[in-house]
Amino acid sequence: MARRRAITGTKVLVLVVLGLIWLAPAYLMVVNAARPAGAYNPADAWSPAGSFELLSNMRRAWDDAGLGQSLGSTVLYSVLSPALAILIGALAGFSIVTLRLRHGFAWFMLIFGGTVFPAQMLLVPLFIAYSRLNLYDSRPGLILIYAAISVPFAAFVMRNFFTGVAFSIFEAARLDGASTARIFWRMYLPLSWSALVAIFVLEFTFTWNDLLFGMTLSQSPGIRPVMPAVSALQSDVYAGTPVPVALAVGLLVSIPAIALFMATQRFFTRGLTLGQL
Amino acid sequence: MTTRTPLRLTPPRVPAALAAGRRGRRGHGDRALFGRFRHGYIAPGALIVAGLLYLPFLWTVYLSFTNYDGLTPATWAGFANYRALLHDPALLTSIRNTLIWVAGTTLLPVGLGLLVAVLSYNLRGGAWLRLPFLLPYAFSGAGIGLVWGVLLSPGGTINHLLGFFHLPGASTPLLSYAPLNTIVLIIAMTWQQIGVNTLLFVVGLQSIPREPIEAAKIDGASGWSMFRRVIWPLLTPLTTVVVGLALVASLKTFDVVWVATQGGPGRSSETLAVTMYRDTFVADQYGYGSAVAVLLTVVTGVVSVIYLRQQLARREGLSG
Amino acid sequence: MRRRMRNVALGAVASVSVLAAIAGCGSSGGSSSATTGVTLKLYNDKGAWSPYFNQLGTMSKKDIGIGMSPVGYTDEPTYQAFIQASFHTNKKPDLFTWQTGGQLAEIAQLHQVANTTSIWQQGIADGDLPKGLEQYYTVGGQQYCVPLNVAYWGMFYNKAIFTKYGLTPPTNWTQFMHVAQVLKSHGVTPFYETDVLFSFVWFEQLLAGTDPQVYEQLSTGKASYTSPAVVNVMKMWQTMINDGYMSDPADKTDPSVMLKNGQVAMVPDGSWFNTSMTQQNLKPGVDYGYFIIPNVNPSLPKTSVILESGPLCSLVNAPDEAASMKYLKWWITPAAQQPWSSARGDASANPKVSVTGDTDLSTVMKNAGAGQYNLLLRYFEAAPPPVLAAALDAFGAFMVHPNSYMTQLQTIQQAQQTYWSSHQAGS
Repeated sequence: MARRRAITGTKVLVLVVLGLIWLAPAYLMVVNAARPAGAYNPADAWSPAGSFELLSNMRRAWDDAGLGQSLGSTVLYSVLSPALAILIGALAGFSIVTLRLRHGFAWFMLIFGGTVFPAQMLLVPLFIAYSRLNLYDSRPGLILIYAAISVPFAAFVMRNFFTGVAFSIFEAARLDGASTARIFWRMYLPLSWSALVAIFVLEFTFTWNDLLFGMTLSQSPGIRPVMPAVSALQSDVYAGTPVPVALAVGLLVSIPAIALFMATQRFFTRGLTLGQL
Repeated sequence: MTTRTPLRLTPPRVPAALAAGRRGRRGHGDRALFGRFRHGYIAPGALIVAGLLYLPFLWTVYLSFTNYDGLTPATWAGFANYRALLHDPALLTSIRNTLIWVAGTTLLPVGLGLLVAVLSYNLRGGAWLRLPFLLPYAFSGAGIGLVWGVLLSPGGTINHLLGFFHLPGASTPLLSYAPLNTIVLIIAMTWQQIGVNTLLFVVGLQSIPREPIEAAKIDGASGWSMFRRVIWPLLTPLTTVVVGLALVASLKTFDVVWVATQGGPGRSSETLAVTMYRDTFVADQYGYGSAVAVLLTVVTGVVSVIYLRQQLARREGLSG
Repeated sequence: MRRRMRNVALGAVASVSVLAAIAGCGSSGGSSSATTGVTLKLYNDKGAWSPYFNQLGTMSKKDIGIGMSPVGYTDEPTYQAFIQASFHTNKKPDLFTWQTGGQLAEIAQLHQVANTTSIWQQGIADGDLPKGLEQYYTVGGQQYCVPLNVAYWGMFYNKAIFTKYGLTPPTNWTQFMHVAQVLKSHGVTPFYETDVLFSFVWFEQLLAGTDPQVYEQLSTGKASYTSPAVVNVMKMWQTMINDGYMSDPADKTDPSVMLKNGQVAMVPDGSWFNTSMTQQNLKPGVDYGYFIIPNVNPSLPKTSVILESGPLCSLVNAPDEAASMKYLKWWITPAAQQPWSSARGDASANPKVSVTGDTDLSTVMKNAGAGQYNLLLRYFEAAPPPVLAAALDAFGAFMVHPNSYMTQLQTIQQAQQTYWSSHQAGS
């Protein structure tokens, strides 16, 4: 019993120490985002400033970058595209693992191969294709590309996750006369909620933080996601944006992802049963 | 008696038709067991990926055989760009750096991610102890770049820390010399990416059934032997995901390097993706840059196939 | 519990899909506003100037009934690739920013850019455009685009530090180095340099002040990077680095922060740096000053000043050519240029415009307009892209290893030779 306690204690200690190290850069971000805009000095970046200016920095960043218009569409892309990708990926994983699709490995590599291409090289041909198909500067166009990027990851995770589900479940359900679709929707998907939530959280964040595709494939303020506007403030030498304001805007746009991570924590504390009847 | 494969229930008795489908790939029980529309399940995925990711890349492949400069009509160049690849010293540095990235990424973010997941799992409040590792992934890119600029600047925080602990490097500008700058950037990326791996490993841990663990406990296993005999093998599906993704991502490393050093100084921290971007979009040599892109893609593809074939083939025939 | 969760999830996805479908119908960002008139899209790689562009857009709406809204990019290579790709599509920009020098010549020769010769000649006649600027916008005897901005590169200095050590802005090179010496002796780093993006600044400044002819010949392929004039410049730069006059080039701190906090006493930069100064709550003439860097070579007739000017262009097949041309015509008038310049605290191409409150810059603008300086196009625009890419890398490597200057010059020369062997000389 005491040994158990010692082991638990060591675990907690290691996690706390590592966790504090991990939080250090985040602390740096917050402390300097809360500094008055003109008071940034890298020499004492670690000490908190006298006054707490985080909110006024954020408001200034909001106005300067004109974030209001892009938030709605960014939410749309970050929720819908991962959801679509998860569905498509789960269907693919299901067909390869459970439905034993012929040449399953080849099909899987076809889909996973989508991640192999460097994104920067896709920008120009996609722009040209989108302009011809009238998808340029359109919400469906962006939803489509974000979903496409997210499918390989979702398919990979779901495929591997499904290998852990006992095949006997599938067989027994078929015996009972269920259609494959029903088995997928009513049995396999619910069993995988842990993986589904994890994929969604990660892909929401990835899509939310995307800069290149949003910048190149759209131009209207109501269609462009939020990152192009934010990065204009942060990384442009011609801007002269003070560091506290740049950090404040970075924190501001990270809030949805952070909130999502925190809200979904409870999904990852429980065990699952994957078909041990 | 040690078992190295997970426990399995004996499957219920099934009628001949269904059993035939289970046995072979071309058994006529196939359709009966798996339904008629198997290909319909894979079609959306295959189509969306082929249409939006594969097709655009064909344009890059085409360009790699030309001398396109982004503006004037492309002129055919045959294999000239590929021949030039063999004589480019900057490409050699780039390949070397990319290899360091692959090694570093499969070690650090994967290893630490696993450590955090395993330590925090089944711990009261473990989810909260995990949170500091997940949050960096949520922060947007440029803000991270600013903060790490402060940390890594000459005379910055990390230099101070090294001096405080009397470690070497207190007065070395961390981003100016290769391969130190690559290693330092790998650390910065570890900070950001560990959350992804941790989360995936947690999902894997969650899906381990209780029975094998109970059985092993009865056998007297605990702690490290439990991990090695039961947990680690059962974690394999998600480990494959994490490592597979880490391989691909590390080969394609671009963002961290571009923001921090733009591949410099003097191209010493370039990775293949950075070289590709610089040659194509900065130097306006679309043809040559596309050849680098094709090289990078082929390497990534081959590595993925080799790794996944080995990993996934091992799993074939395990579930029923 | 699982079923409810799944139903909630499905419901969410369904409702978002419906929203998306509705949103999708009304998408493809309409380019005309609900009110009267056209709104032109101005594509630019100065994403941070969006607030200023928006101001001008409101103004132009009132003045000429044409609105303007910016589409900002922040990554210059991506922006260029996008604009070049758009030439082949039907999604052409109404207006876009570009670069003078070889880049402008390229798109002009491809007949992609609208001819603005009439605007220029009228502008010069009206005194809205200086004659000295014309050559940078001329290709094959015709003018294209109008100046988006004009900036002069000089030295920004921290007034408090100068006053503390009894220093005044130098008027010749001896004084210039003396100032650096005094600062160094008191433990203050005199100059700022960086190995990212602007790694060419000291190279161009020193070469322009030594042998401006060679500087210009480099950009047309008629001079070599290994010629004695260039080698001497690198030696000079090396000495300055080895004497400890330069800041650490790997330091990622923003130069405005370094100047404000006294980490460096002087920063060589374009006059648009005023915008950064203002953001840091620094006042021109009070907290900081600005002077033109004297020539290294005292026997040159005029002081060399690096000029940065970016064009604002309209496409030949723009969606609304007439509106775009009308906009360009309005852009060069004081009605547009005065607020454009004042908002950013920067110079303007229009000689009638003055910068209130900044006597240093106003003096420079007057002198430039009067032809007192030998204006040279900035290296970033003057060098062809492959050569520029090689040079930026080489200068960055040089700053880390100052003794390697010969190797670095040879690398650039290689790129120079490769480029000019397949291109006609003549920017």
